[in-house]
Amino acid sequence: MNSSPDKRKRWNARFLPRSIVARTSLSILVLAVVMGLAFSLMASWRVRAAEHDRLIARVHELTSTVESTVSIACFLNDATLAKEIAGGLMKNRIVAGVRVTSGAKLLYSGGVVEAARGRAARIDAFPQTIYSPFDQKNEVGQITLYVSSAEIEAQAAAYSRYTIWILSLQVSIVAAAVAFLVYLLVTRPIKGISDELHRLEIRSGMRLTWPSGNRKDEIGQLVLDVNGLIARLTDALANERELRVAHEISERRMRLVFEKADTGILVLDERGAVLSCNPSFVRILGPGAGLAGAQLDQLLRPHGPLVAELIESANAADEPREADMEVDLGSGRGKVWVELSVNRLGPNLLQGLVNDITERKRAEVAARELASRDPVTSLLNRRGIDAALVQVLERPIESRARPALLQIDLDHFKSVNDTHGHDAGDHVLRVVARVLERAVRRSDFVGRSGGDEFQVILAGVEKTSVALDIANKIIAEVAQPVDVGGGNLVRVGASIGIAMGSGEYEAPASFLRRADEAMYEAKQSGKGCVRVAAAAAAEPGDSAAA
Amino acid sequence: MKRVVFILILAAFALRIADANEPTSIVVIVNPGSGVDHLTRDEVIDIFLGRYRKLPSGRAALPIDIAEASAERARFYQLLVKKSRADMSSYWARLVFSGQTSPPFQVSDAKTAIELVQSNPNAIAYVDSASVSAGVKVVLELKP
Repeated sequence: MNSSPDKRKRWNARFLPRSIVARTSLSILVLAVVMGLAFSLMASWRVRAAEHDRLIARVHELTSTVESTVSIACFLNDATLAKEIAGGLMKNRIVAGVRVTSGAKLLYSGGVVEAARGRAARIDAFPQTIYSPFDQKNEVGQITLYVSSAEIEAQAAAYSRYTIWILSLQVSIVAAAVAFLVYLLVTRPIKGISDELHRLEIRSGMRLTWPSGNRKDEIGQLVLDVNGLIARLTDALANERELRVAHEISERRMRLVFEKADTGILVLDERGAVLSCNPSFVRILGPGAGLAGAQLDQLLRPHGPLVAELIESANAADEPREADMEVDLGSGRGKVWVELSVNRLGPNLLQGLVNDITERKRAEVAARELASRDPVTSLLNRRGIDAALVQVLERPIESRARPALLQIDLDHFKSVNDTHGHDAGDHVLRVVARVLERAVRRSDFVGRSGGDEFQVILAGVEKTSVALDIANKIIAEVAQPVDVGGGNLVRVGASIGIAMGSGEYEAPASFLRRADEAMYEAKQSGKGCVRVAAAAAAEPGDSAAA
Repeated sequence: MKRVVFILILAAFALRIADANEPTSIVVIVNPGSGVDHLTRDEVIDIFLGRYRKLPSGRAALPIDIAEASAERARFYQLLVKKSRADMSSYWARLVFSGQTSPPFQVSDAKTAIELVQSNPNAIAYVDSASVSAGVKVVLELKP
């Protein structure tokens, strides 16, 4: 089923010329030849049969023509007359021989008078009885015409050939005329249009020539329509070109902004994958940010969850989502503060703006530190301690770790100050500060609330004994002599009160007071020792001094 | 005179009545010495139209035609072979070429024909039955 049109296509491609002119001419010619042959065959058969019948009829006519004279010749046994008649008959080419008899008597016999069979010379006899000229009932003789069938066939064939020739000539002339007219009226204009269209360049504003002979027919209409299409196409192309130029200018301007802006600009898909970004984005976040397939929440470590949340909410809302975050760039490149803003651009498309705010943040931190630090020891001042306490106490309680506050008061510091001056005193304070800092973890806080009073806030200890160990270590360290310049060694001591967090929320002031009271207790007990404050939910036995 | 005229008119009437009721036949006559008593129509045709110029007795036959314009000749051929005067001319004209057969010997009138028959035993002629005289023998009567 499928293969037959394909087969025909292949056949066409192989045997039919591509040119429309050649194809139509060939088709008309083939048609003419086929029809001419068919007509000729039919005509030749008919003409031949008709001509044969006509010639046979002519034999009978010949006999009829001479019948009355033959009748006289037979009646009178007149051989001369019979010969005369036969001579006349035999001038006819189809008559091969004549035989005239009168009763038993042979009056005349001439030419081929034997009926013969065979292809080459077939002779047929046409006998005719002759009656007396005076009595139609009285048989007086017989005339026999011998006719060459071969000659008849030859004549019929010749006539038929002549007919075929005339017919072929006519068909040929008609076919040639039709082919020429079709060429003139249809194929040549179409070929012209086709060739012209093939060479046509739309840009140059070329048009097809309107064929003069076909202005009012379908071909003229075709050319007009094609020209109309070309005109519209040219206009459309020109418009498009202008639009493209305008678009290019606008895009170049936008790109300039994009490329040169200090702000990192990026386009994200709805899951936070970076689709494109500008150089500033890479400059801020490092070369990894410019790689294909970078994921924004991976770039802004360790704030992945926050970034994911921003992206999710920006997907749902039209307002921009913003957050400041300190990003760890890793591999020794330090940290950078960025301000991230995420806007929805369209379906499944987000725009991100990243500003480097590290400088601003540093200034802020510096200012805040200035406000919360003791200028002598660089430890936290009173305000800083309060802030740290709030932070520690309000931190959600995880596991069994609890906060602890060590209230430290230096012993004998006043005499150092008095004996060696304030500079020496300050030096001692600084040495103590370093001792305290060394004694605790980085997550703990160390401060000086004023004079010779220090505070250590342990962010989380599991047992009171840990705080006690630290306190004893501090007492031992502080007790070491300090060189205050000029070969003078001074010695101070430390009395420490500890307040342990209970696991329940406790106000900072209460916490401070408990530690303070424990410290006074230590002072009362002879200095250079540590006391643990009683607590509301203190563990049994913990209130005892170590 | 009146009587003569009357008789003539009467005779004319009688003649016309006779003509109308009983048209005269043409008879074929021969010399009594010819040895022929009777001839068939075909024998007469053969002799006059040139086929056999012999009498049944074996004697040569000499057919005699009366002048071409005569009434007897026209009637004879009409009664014998149903041919007109023109047909007969045409018949003989066709035979001029061959020269083998000739038309009958021609005389000017019936009287001469009868005389010829009376005097020649080979002669054979035709006359109106009314003109038959002694000295000839009627061998065939052609009735209209």
